[in-house]
Amino acid sequence: MPDLFQSFLVVFLFVCGSGILIVPSRRLMTGLLALQYIGVFLLVSVSWPLEIAVVKLVAGWMASAVLFLTYQNLPGVNIEGRMDTLLPGTYFKGFTALLLGLSVYSLVPTALRWFLGATQQQVLGGLWLLGLGLLQLLLTRDSLRIIIGLLTVISGFEILYATLEASVLMTGLLAILNIGFAFLGSYLLIASNLEESP
Amino acid sequence: MSTPILWILVPFMAAGVSLFFLQYRNLLRWNGLGFGLVLVTSALVLPINETFKFLFWEVELSDQLLIFGRRFILSGADQPVVILLFSLWLFWLVIMDPKLVPPQFIPLSLSGICLILTAYSVEPIFYGALFFAFLALIYVVLLSPPGKEPTPGVLRFLIFQILGMLFILFAAWLASWIDLNSGNQVMLARSLLILALGFSFILSIFPFISWISMVGERNHPFLSGFVFNTYFLGVFLFGTRFILEGGWIGQGVNIQEPLQIAGVIMLGFGGFMAISSNHLGRLLGAVIIAEIGRSLLAISLFQAGIPIYFGMVILQSVSLGVWSLSLTQLQQGINGLDYLSATGAARLWPVTTSGLLLGYFALAGLPLLGGFPIYWTLGSGLSFYPLWINSVFVLSTLGLVFGGLRLLGVLTKKIGEESILILGEPFYRYLILGLNILLVLIGILPQWIFRLTRTISGLMLGS
Repeated sequence: MPDLFQSFLVVFLFVCGSGILIVPSRRLMTGLLALQYIGVFLLVSVSWPLEIAVVKLVAGWMASAVLFLTYQNLPGVNIEGRMDTLLPGTYFKGFTALLLGLSVYSLVPTALRWFLGATQQQVLGGLWLLGLGLLQLLLTRDSLRIIIGLLTVISGFEILYATLEASVLMTGLLAILNIGFAFLGSYLLIASNLEESP
Repeated sequence: MSTPILWILVPFMAAGVSLFFLQYRNLLRWNGLGFGLVLVTSALVLPINETFKFLFWEVELSDQLLIFGRRFILSGADQPVVILLFSLWLFWLVIMDPKLVPPQFIPLSLSGICLILTAYSVEPIFYGALFFAFLALIYVVLLSPPGKEPTPGVLRFLIFQILGMLFILFAAWLASWIDLNSGNQVMLARSLLILALGFSFILSIFPFISWISMVGERNHPFLSGFVFNTYFLGVFLFGTRFILEGGWIGQGVNIQEPLQIAGVIMLGFGGFMAISSNHLGRLLGAVIIAEIGRSLLAISLFQAGIPIYFGMVILQSVSLGVWSLSLTQLQQGINGLDYLSATGAARLWPVTTSGLLLGYFALAGLPLLGGFPIYWTLGSGLSFYPLWINSVFVLSTLGLVFGGLRLLGVLTKKIGEESILILGEPFYRYLILGLNILLVLIGILPQWIFRLTRTISGLMLGS
């Protein structure tokens, strides 16, 4: 895969990751998550055969679909919130994402010594997603955002880990884990609406 | 037929099927008890890798299962672990009050036990970290029963476990790289650092301990008790195997000192938290944190510490069981689990609160109760190590006992009320009394426990 295209993918991943962090709308957030998995799949395919790398895309899209369908069918959920109250938070999140992006970029030469088989773009993309996912986990208490943050962290890890190991079982288990997260997220979203047990 | 199919896949499928019968609580519980008994018995009596006659068939139980090139092994040396885990499940099922515990507990707890066994049996062992991530997913569902919002503690638990998994997988890869470049001290130091971080996350070592008290405070006491009991046991079993099989000791690395430092920090923190706690759930969190510290200290003694560790596991299970059962019953009569709400409860419900007190004091290490001889042995083992370890050990134990005395003061305080409410069914009150007697018996006759735990560790280390 040409370097230029890989660089484009990395920028695309950063935009998606930051977008997930910033946007208040759950619909947009899940859409960006689904888009993010395209970037993950393409960066993983640099190290792996396409037919194995596509597992990441399928699992990621399934996870996004499960989350989307769950909150879409939730009764009476106020998702959007007023833009004027959300703006300061949005600026803050955007600024921290930018800071994180810059600091991770400066760390790439050091990180390349740890991931010997990886391209610079794979390391940068993986670390950006890891960082943005962690940022999401730090800045929220909403269960859906936490699940999406964890999915982002795992996506970043998967890009990096793909350069180290290509085991079928590991690929399958990570895919199941992604889908498991989505089901857990949807359960946590609907749990409070279910009939109470003792 | 193989042992992983019999003790992992079959129970896992049974747990899946039982999810469809959640409305039949008693049926589910009785079936669970029967099934648990069958599993424990099978682990006790079935020979592995030998042909035996079962009804009309000649059966051989192989000790491994191959899936996508990875092996899952449960050999004869692992039988004590299988027996221990299924016995624990059976014990929690016996003390469970179906009217007060969500019915999801039975299938989800069984699948949790299966996942612990999977993580313990997989080869290469670092794959086990992934199964702990699955375990975290199951336990999050278990701790968030229908009708309740997921608590912040549960979400934090999930985050820490997933981060721990990622660090362990990465450290294991780095370690495999060291094999090819033996003598590379920089790589070894890096992988050890990442591994330590990974285990700190999944074992909730300071500073990643906050979720324990949060879960203790806000979640169902019975469910929290079960999760604390089995989750940390699973992590310790996995961690011990990871260190032994991953060749970390063979690299000439001194892991004793880090284990002792982490143990002392945890024990000290637990003791301090117990003194200042004003909530029954947080007090449980404090004693759990202290127990993690003690477990680390026991494991740091290596061969001499393994029987002590298993003794602590048995004690923890009984104590946590009676604590959780009592607290679940007590919750029916009080408004909250803070000390203010629980004031004078012992005067209204003496049997129920006796379970709380004895369960707690046994874990704190009060003389004549089950914990005392076990912690005494641990302290004796630690006496060969620096004074600061021993000082923190003693001071933290005193802190835990002081926390218990505060609890005793709160529960027995006169409030001038008389109870007309009888909590729970008589069976559970007798059960609390029975478990209290068991805790005293362990304290008076500790040789029973040590004989058992020496056999377990002998079988395990013999492998």
